[in-house]
Amino acid sequence: MKRFQRLLAVLLSASVLNLTAVQSAQAALVSTEEAARLAGAAQSESGHARLAAALARDDVRAEMLRQGVDPTLAHERIAALTDDEAARLADQIDSAPAGGIIGAILLVFFVLLITDILGLTKVFPFTRPLR
Amino acid sequence: MAAGTPACAVRAPRPRPVARRLLALVLAALLAGGCATQSASLLAQRPPGLPTRVELADTPFFPDDSHFCGPAALATALSAAGLATRPDELVDRVFLPGREGSLQIEMLAGARRSGAVATVIPGTLEALLSEVAAGHPVVVLQNLGLSWAPSWHYAVVVGHDLEAGEILLRSGPMQRQALALRTFEHTWKRGGNWAFVTLPPGRLAATATEAEATAALVAFERAASPAAAATAYRAGLQRWPDSYTLQMGLGNVLHARGELAGAEAAFARAARHGQAAAHNNHARVLLALGRAGEARAAAQRGLAVAGPLRATLLDTLQAIDAALPAPAR
Repeated sequence: MKRFQRLLAVLLSASVLNLTAVQSAQAALVSTEEAARLAGAAQSESGHARLAAALARDDVRAEMLRQGVDPTLAHERIAALTDDEAARLADQIDSAPAGGIIGAILLVFFVLLITDILGLTKVFPFTRPLR
Repeated sequence: MAAGTPACAVRAPRPRPVARRLLALVLAALLAGGCATQSASLLAQRPPGLPTRVELADTPFFPDDSHFCGPAALATALSAAGLATRPDELVDRVFLPGREGSLQIEMLAGARRSGAVATVIPGTLEALLSEVAAGHPVVVLQNLGLSWAPSWHYAVVVGHDLEAGEILLRSGPMQRQALALRTFEHTWKRGGNWAFVTLPPGRLAATATEAEATAALVAFERAASPAAAATAYRAGLQRWPDSYTLQMGLGNVLHARGELAGAEAAFARAARHGQAAAHNNHARVLLALGRAGEARAAAQRGLAVAGPLRATLLDTLQAIDAALPAPAR
């Protein structure tokens, strides 16, 4: 089991690294998304980079693995977001109260990553439909 | 009405201070009395050019009576746009089992992954009905509950009858729901007046603003093949020929296809906006075309306004100098 977890960890880090590697490989030409961002209100860091940084944290990764999140599916779904959309998600992480950052990262990702958040954290005032 | 269509959409968490929420509630209560609705003014004075009756009867229908309104609505809109899709193919892309619903941004991303340009349209009834009149079914987010006890739901608008004051929807288990325009307006407003259309590359939403259409096309490039993205950008440029971002996008996807002459022309037009990114890409393509002298001039122009792209332009200059014969430097 330990070995399996380690393998998953390696796979997940590889997929995160891959996300950033793809971006720098095309650095010769400036991508449309980056050009649009530079032409508009300048934003310091790309949304995908910020999400990748959050995902790369050991504590976050450990928690995701503990929850049995599929890294491939996560990677695909995050890659399908535009940088702007990724930035909006990252903003939600950033606006979490101090101390609740891990909970917030997990919340945002679990919303995307198919796991129910409730019970795991109460960082956000989540509006859940009443039944 | 909500019976049979349980909550099946998820809104992303948006932290809001309690005080502001209370204030909003009080304000909403104060305003609710005297506010004129859009539907009332629309029915009283019909916008010119908007037909009295529209029904896109050919729009397919995928019944759903559980939590899959997201995949069902998206499959409806995609199939109507000629991209045959079934809801079960979309579940893995837009559905969150843990939340029993679909997020708005994933609805847009899911549409793009299925080969459609997904464009958010202005949140007015007039834009919504005009879009349907143009032959485009519109996916809407409704809140069938109350603002403080939401029951989110995706449906597809397929027509209207201004005489009867009704709007027609494919919604949950209902193939043809005729809803009073006024009722619809309230449920849509509680959903944030959010609506989008999915169209094949080459066609544009009838009512979208330049900003929304551009955002949709740039997002489409991320998911699409360069050929499809080029078709999409060209359609955008037909409507907004001066758009810097669309020219950059066209240049990038033509470059990816190896169509260097076309890419060069697009970047040259983009470079007129004086952006460093355009000069950089122009220089790169000129270099690839063997026009190193012009490439160097373009890169120099870029370097003068480089800002955060300084390192990129220095790289480009270095690549050009490596290609130029020594005396030309």
